[in-house]
Amino acid sequence: MAGQIHSSEGQNVLWSAGSQPAYEQTTHSNLQERIVTRESRQPCAHCGLPVSVGETTDEPVFCCAGCESVYRAIHDSGLDDFYDLQSTPDGGTREARPDGVDERRLDEFDAPAFLERHAEALEGGLYEIELHLDGVHCAGCVWIVEQMPDRLEGVDEARLNLSRARLTLRWHQDEVSLSEIAAWLERFGYSAHPTGRRDDATSGAERQLLRKMGVGWAIAANVMMIAFAFYSGLDASAQSGLFDAMRGASLLLAAISVVYGGSIFFRRAWSSLRPLLAEPSSCRWDRLSIDIPISIAILGGFTHSAVATFRGTGEVWFDSITVLIAALLTARWLQIRGRRLAGDAADRLLSVLPTGARRLDDDGELESVPTEALESGDVVEVRPSEVVPADGTVVDGSTALHRGVLTGESRPERVECGERVFAGAQNTGETICVRVHSSGDASRIGQLLDWIEKQSEGKAPVVHLADRWAGIFVLAVLGGALLTWLGWTWVGSPHAIEHAVALLVIACPCALGMATPLAMTTGVGRAARRGIFIEDEAILQRLEHLDEIVLDKTGTITSGEMHLVDWNGSRRALEWAAALEAESTHPIAFALRSWAPDEIDDLEPESIDEQPGRGLQGRIDGCDLLVGRPDWVREACDGDLPPELEPTLQATLHAAHTPILVAVDGTVKSVAAFGDPIRSASADLVDELQSRGVEATILSGDHDDVVEEVGRQLGLAPNRVHGDVAPEDKKAFIDARTAPDERDLADEDVPCVAMVGDGVNDAAALEAADIGIAVEGSASASLVAADVFLTREGLEPIAELLEGSEAVMHAVHRNLGMSAVYNVAGISVAAAGFVSPLVAAVAMPVSSVAVVVSSSLQTSFESDLDSDVAATPTSPDASPSDDSLSLADDEPSSLAPPASSGR
Amino acid sequence: MAALYLLVPVAFLFVGAAVLAFLWAVDDGQFDDTQSPAVRVIMEDDEVDEREE
Repeated sequence: MAGQIHSSEGQNVLWSAGSQPAYEQTTHSNLQERIVTRESRQPCAHCGLPVSVGETTDEPVFCCAGCESVYRAIHDSGLDDFYDLQSTPDGGTREARPDGVDERRLDEFDAPAFLERHAEALEGGLYEIELHLDGVHCAGCVWIVEQMPDRLEGVDEARLNLSRARLTLRWHQDEVSLSEIAAWLERFGYSAHPTGRRDDATSGAERQLLRKMGVGWAIAANVMMIAFAFYSGLDASAQSGLFDAMRGASLLLAAISVVYGGSIFFRRAWSSLRPLLAEPSSCRWDRLSIDIPISIAILGGFTHSAVATFRGTGEVWFDSITVLIAALLTARWLQIRGRRLAGDAADRLLSVLPTGARRLDDDGELESVPTEALESGDVVEVRPSEVVPADGTVVDGSTALHRGVLTGESRPERVECGERVFAGAQNTGETICVRVHSSGDASRIGQLLDWIEKQSEGKAPVVHLADRWAGIFVLAVLGGALLTWLGWTWVGSPHAIEHAVALLVIACPCALGMATPLAMTTGVGRAARRGIFIEDEAILQRLEHLDEIVLDKTGTITSGEMHLVDWNGSRRALEWAAALEAESTHPIAFALRSWAPDEIDDLEPESIDEQPGRGLQGRIDGCDLLVGRPDWVREACDGDLPPELEPTLQATLHAAHTPILVAVDGTVKSVAAFGDPIRSASADLVDELQSRGVEATILSGDHDDVVEEVGRQLGLAPNRVHGDVAPEDKKAFIDARTAPDERDLADEDVPCVAMVGDGVNDAAALEAADIGIAVEGSASASLVAADVFLTREGLEPIAELLEGSEAVMHAVHRNLGMSAVYNVAGISVAAAGFVSPLVAAVAMPVSSVAVVVSSSLQTSFESDLDSDVAATPTSPDASPSDDSLSLADDEPSSLAPPASSGR
Repeated sequence: MAALYLLVPVAFLFVGAAVLAFLWAVDDGQFDDTQSPAVRVIMEDDEVDEREE
């Protein structure tokens, strides 16, 4: 069937309104209906979370309006098969997406500038674009996305690459707009991002290498076959015609291989050599690339063999040379391919700010304008759950702003009229009006992002370990060949040139050229299966000399979610409170429920009244209950706190946790403290770091007292714990440790600093650090800035990363050692004149195979998880933590249900 | 042995054909994604069933 999607009632609730308040209203009205009768539980028809229902029915039930809308959208489009495919074929599951749709984000897809930059115009109004889709996990996703041409008029083709989460799309711009397509995808929980600069270059280079590699091996196999004839006794004197023909054929084939396949080494060798030739005075022989000895061997061996072929006498090395080219191309190709996955997910546009804003014009009318059009002095309206589009001053209203994205603060802050606000903060309270001071790139967050983008584009290529050996190697080989020639000439041998060439060929650093890339690519691939994505293998090399690791707090050391950390008083009262909060979506309600035993499900609240920003009032088991902020509860039951609870409340405030009081029938019965507890793996990581001699430092934008408490619990010295640090200061902090920029990071004496973080506020510091590590749930800016990112919860993967990189480097050193032994032996034997083409043809593959075996036998990142557990990077969109005390006006992010399997 | 003068060039022709096929496959993007087509096989059956309904 083909046809335009028609919005049904259910979809309208969420998708056409687009903003989050609509979402919330529905949630609460649904709750009201459902709250009274609660007897059994049934899985939500979309996400599988348990839902309380009156009686078990065959009708689909839903945990929230979001799931219901998505289910209706899928169901009404006749796409129910999605639920059957959801968990196939690898048992992968989908995570329901926590965020609502930012409709204005979609608008940017239709801007002409956007199309020009990211899409390719084909004939007849047809456009093609590649998009990165967040939330692609399983075969069901491929199926549903590729249904698009049948379901959306104007879409010609949709192909989804599952492993890379990349969608290739062809559509008619005059029939359907890209934003409509993106909205269609968004309805199923896939958020589309334009892909940035890297792709064409990378996949082009990868394809070209693959072509060269295929041709290289085809030629190598045939030249080797011909060589068998020589080795098994084809004699120049007996069958000179055939002998010459075979040599000629080898020459022809080898010439193709050298020109087509070898050119990549020649070009790189030349570009490494050119600066040295231009300025011989500043000559750094240890900066030569490994491509130089490779090129010398290929060219030397080939030239000599070609001359021998034309003369009809002398040795030919065509088989060794062609195998060498093919093997080295294979190593290069594996390296590029291994790097792709990590690059893909980090390759996205930096967008934190909304693309549009609501501007108040002179008559007090609201008009929608793009964010770039905002000028200093404009007044914009920011509604609840929207993001502040520009830096400015609040001129009307007061609200709570969540500045986590910019500062890393874990709690929303009160903002009054006249105070400054910064772009990127999320409004969690009331509608406010803001007078713009600076917008776009001039805003504080704009400057940060701008810097990151510039830096990550200009990332310097890293000197690989093998390249550090290359200079010495070139000198040794050329010196050895010269000495061999001189020596044999001196003793009067007619084969002096032969022996020198034999040395050049057998000493070709085939194994050396493969030693580091293969071992590292294997390690990086294994790490990716463990949910650790490493953008450049050289990071492993740097990790070996790690001296200091700087950790962000919120979402990194701590979980970024609320939990009950302490309580005192009546347990029964708290359990009642949990029962009362059973249907609330506030973070504190979640925390209370996860603490309470399952039996509370049997308690039935008789009435519930939510007081936004204060707490909850209700009746349960014949008792009146008040649950909420201490001042509100104490005022409402105008009683004092029982003396035994006072110390707990004080301790809670002292530890910077959020307290809640529970009053039963007008008397305060218990106090509970909620906070963002330290992950259990954090303490282990700190111990692990200390045992490795790596210093740990905490750098957080959160309140000093909160951060200090965390540092104390982890046993860190107070001078290693810093709170209230602005993003710019984080960068400065790292800069102070990593300056000057021109350091040679492979040098062991130079301090190497890693930064671990998740927010936009950490992004600049991640970029500035020698190694930037972004943790699960990071904002896109920090992904662009980071060198490594983790898709598993917590800090455990960091310890694993350290251990794994040690194992990889062990394998690298083993490989380098083996190839060094091979080369020393090969050069000695060749200098002694014992190397014939047959010896070279056997010895060279043997050394390469040894390196390959040694690389795959490494013990890094050994998997006891399911191998595919993290094969696809999960959504990197940040869902900031929220510990506001307003019990009703929370954001949907706290709704995030855990992943569930399909039915 | 004279047969070799014919057989070796014929072998080269075969190799040439194989290489051309390989180059076509690379340019066609056959090696770009080695995972999705495997699951797509299952999908397309479903699609046909649905259209028949």
